[in-house]
Amino acid sequence: MKSNRFQQLLRQIAVLLLLALPGMASHPQVSSEPQLKAAFVVNFLKYVEWPASSASTATICLFGRDTLGSYLSTYEGRLIGGRELRVRRINGPDQVAECQVLFIPETEDARVGVVLRWVDGLPVLTVSDVDGFARQNGAIALVRADGRLQFDINVDVLNRAGLKPHSQMMRLARQVIGTPK
Amino acid sequence: MASVSPILAADLVDLLSLEELTKTEITSVSRKSQNLANVPAAAFVISSDDIRRSGAQTVPDVLRMAPGIEVAQIDNGRYAVSARGFNGRFANKLQVLVDGRSIYYPTFSGVMWENDVIPLEDIERIEVIRGPGAAVWGVNAVNGVINIISKHSRDQQGGVLAPTVGTNGKGNLYARFGAAIDENTTWKLSAQGRHAEPSQFLSNRENAEDRLNNATVDARFDKKFGGGSDLSVWANALTSSLGDQMILEFSYTPPLRLQPFTYKQNTNSQSVGARYRWLTDAGIESSLQTSYQSTTMELDRYYKEDRSTFDIDYQGRYTFAKHDVIWGLSYRNTSDSMSTYPLLLTFSPSSFTQRTQGFFVQDDWTLIPETLQLGLGARWDYTNLGGNTFAPNATLMWTPSRSNTLWAKYAQAPRMPSRAEQSVSIFHTVVPPSPKMPMAIIMRNSANGTTLGAEKMEGVELGYRSQLTPTFNVDLSTYRYRYTDQLSGKATSYDPVTLFPVALIQNNTLCNCGNGWINGTEISSDWLVLPNWRLQLSYSWTRIDMDDSSNLQIDSAGKVNERGTPRHYGSLRSQWNITSNQQFDAWIRGSAGYDRINAPYVNLVRVPGYVTLDLRYAHKLNKDLEVALTGRNLIGQRRTEFVSDYLPSVPVEITPSLLLSARWKF
Repeated sequence: MKSNRFQQLLRQIAVLLLLALPGMASHPQVSSEPQLKAAFVVNFLKYVEWPASSASTATICLFGRDTLGSYLSTYEGRLIGGRELRVRRINGPDQVAECQVLFIPETEDARVGVVLRWVDGLPVLTVSDVDGFARQNGAIALVRADGRLQFDINVDVLNRAGLKPHSQMMRLARQVIGTPK
Repeated sequence: MASVSPILAADLVDLLSLEELTKTEITSVSRKSQNLANVPAAAFVISSDDIRRSGAQTVPDVLRMAPGIEVAQIDNGRYAVSARGFNGRFANKLQVLVDGRSIYYPTFSGVMWENDVIPLEDIERIEVIRGPGAAVWGVNAVNGVINIISKHSRDQQGGVLAPTVGTNGKGNLYARFGAAIDENTTWKLSAQGRHAEPSQFLSNRENAEDRLNNATVDARFDKKFGGGSDLSVWANALTSSLGDQMILEFSYTPPLRLQPFTYKQNTNSQSVGARYRWLTDAGIESSLQTSYQSTTMELDRYYKEDRSTFDIDYQGRYTFAKHDVIWGLSYRNTSDSMSTYPLLLTFSPSSFTQRTQGFFVQDDWTLIPETLQLGLGARWDYTNLGGNTFAPNATLMWTPSRSNTLWAKYAQAPRMPSRAEQSVSIFHTVVPPSPKMPMAIIMRNSANGTTLGAEKMEGVELGYRSQLTPTFNVDLSTYRYRYTDQLSGKATSYDPVTLFPVALIQNNTLCNCGNGWINGTEISSDWLVLPNWRLQLSYSWTRIDMDDSSNLQIDSAGKVNERGTPRHYGSLRSQWNITSNQQFDAWIRGSAGYDRINAPYVNLVRVPGYVTLDLRYAHKLNKDLEVALTGRNLIGQRRTEFVSDYLPSVPVEITPSLLLSARWKF
């Protein structure tokens, strides 16, 4: 009997802890930068429409020396907008066709122009934390401003790639470059 | 902790919408050094924010925060800067590049820091890589490479005006304007002037001669083409005037007296350059860079040098399967013409054209994805003043988990003796008369016509980096290097005639005859104590052991090297954001003492250790205007940081200073 009550108490504590954890995540709202970036990248999948997106998987590709891979791998296999999430690492142009999202880390800023050329004309959403990425014909730039992570979006680039951003996403962007269709 | 954070990470997506994500505060230790987090080398990155918050006014003062870099101020403009030991006014084992162009001065070795090659405001970041980098960067990248990367003109739009005034007649004015021609084309023009009134001699507190007047103008144009190609063009001009006082001039009537003499060092330099990057259909990335520089340096009647240098450099990169290959070709042609005051020094020949060409290839091969990477590379260089050099390099990097990296490195690196070492004859050392030897001996270094070969180094290095918690990381490295064929001096002949009866002349010749070991350990760590308070620590321990030699002169040169490096060197920086528009920063830094030759004499003199403090308070009055009050060298005894070796400059005092600066964007 006693042990049952003890177990019950433990369960209550566990529930309280579980309640407290999300509370901690959303209330003080503190997070490491790569963790946040990874969360952004996954979230973009929900706010962008791909043409003929009948595929049952959504693939996030990471280019080059990456900084987010280990954070993104915790999401692998989850269903995002009804599609199973996969994470791939790529190094060359022959691998970009399978990507829905392509992340270019700032460590590779010298190669941004090159990578953007690989995806030219493909329905791939390019995301990067390289300075001024959205002005360099990237689709979405992650920008650190006022101690927060924000994003700039280049709608001309999305249009050319045949991608449709949700209006809510445009509203949340720090800066929208180009003219929405 | 490790089991909690993935849950939190997953929750971030599940629980937070995009809107909430944009409102989430970042509290991690974050800086550009993550750029180098995956590199198998002892790397440290200084961001433009670190530069501004340091309160430093010159590049060498900024470099003091990097572990393994030893900085000693000589006077208002001159600095001795080295990586991992062997510091000196002409510290020769550190390669320094600005946007890929070497600023290592070919006449003397090392960098003429007094010339203000780039204003601090124009720097995007400084990458400091300790350890041999010759397999990619070529000859002279023996103990380290410093890459200074300038801001892209895209990020320098609009105007900035930044004046600074300070005690000891210090002043600095920086102005910049940049604009976009179209969405792919931008330019900027920046200029800086810097002035300092003379310091005081350490010995008698009289005014020294190091009045400084520097000016730099820099223009840059960037254009982006389609298909991943872009073009950058720049032009740069600088002028520098800095005085000095030395003791070497001697009377020609006995007894021998050494007299101080003063001179002004005037440098004028102009350079133009361009870089084009493009991509071939096969996926090969290429970069072609070329530059031309013309420099005149004058030390009153004693020395005048005209030099023009042409550089062309190609680099390619190709990634396939598990390989990431870079390769490069470079060619440099540098012509000089010297005129000197022949009683003190002569160059033989007095003009020379040095040509250098090099080739390198480097492959980073991923053996196990995300876990194990092998790097192999080598570089070959040939120069018509010293011959062939070869520098191989191998690295292994193991990343057992996302927060831990272990790496090991083996490398060889050559240093080519400079033009001066190859061909100068100079009076440099005096042994005063003694009861045993009634006549003074003046030592003259004389080129004997044979060409010196490269100094060699080979060694191993181990490193460990760990993100212990999201707010605390630590970086350790330790190394052991073997140096051979190091330049040292040997006595050759006596000349009792020329200066009789004032003194005897002892001729010396440089030889590749010094050998030794160096061991060291460095630690740096970054701790975000509170979301608005960050602490950064760096510490280095260095020990040089030169081999004993049966030749007394080589043996004593070795001892000078051993005792000339401070055993301990370190700093602790605190950055506190009081509110979103107020910052208060403190920087404690210090060095152990060491010994240097009391040039022009042969005895050693102690440079005492020190601990000092810099403070900075900055207030952002609105989004376009910031004012800051900085105090530098605030505590500690009156001191000198360096006693100039080889050139017998009289030591000056490093004193506290206060600086008031503003930065206005328009």
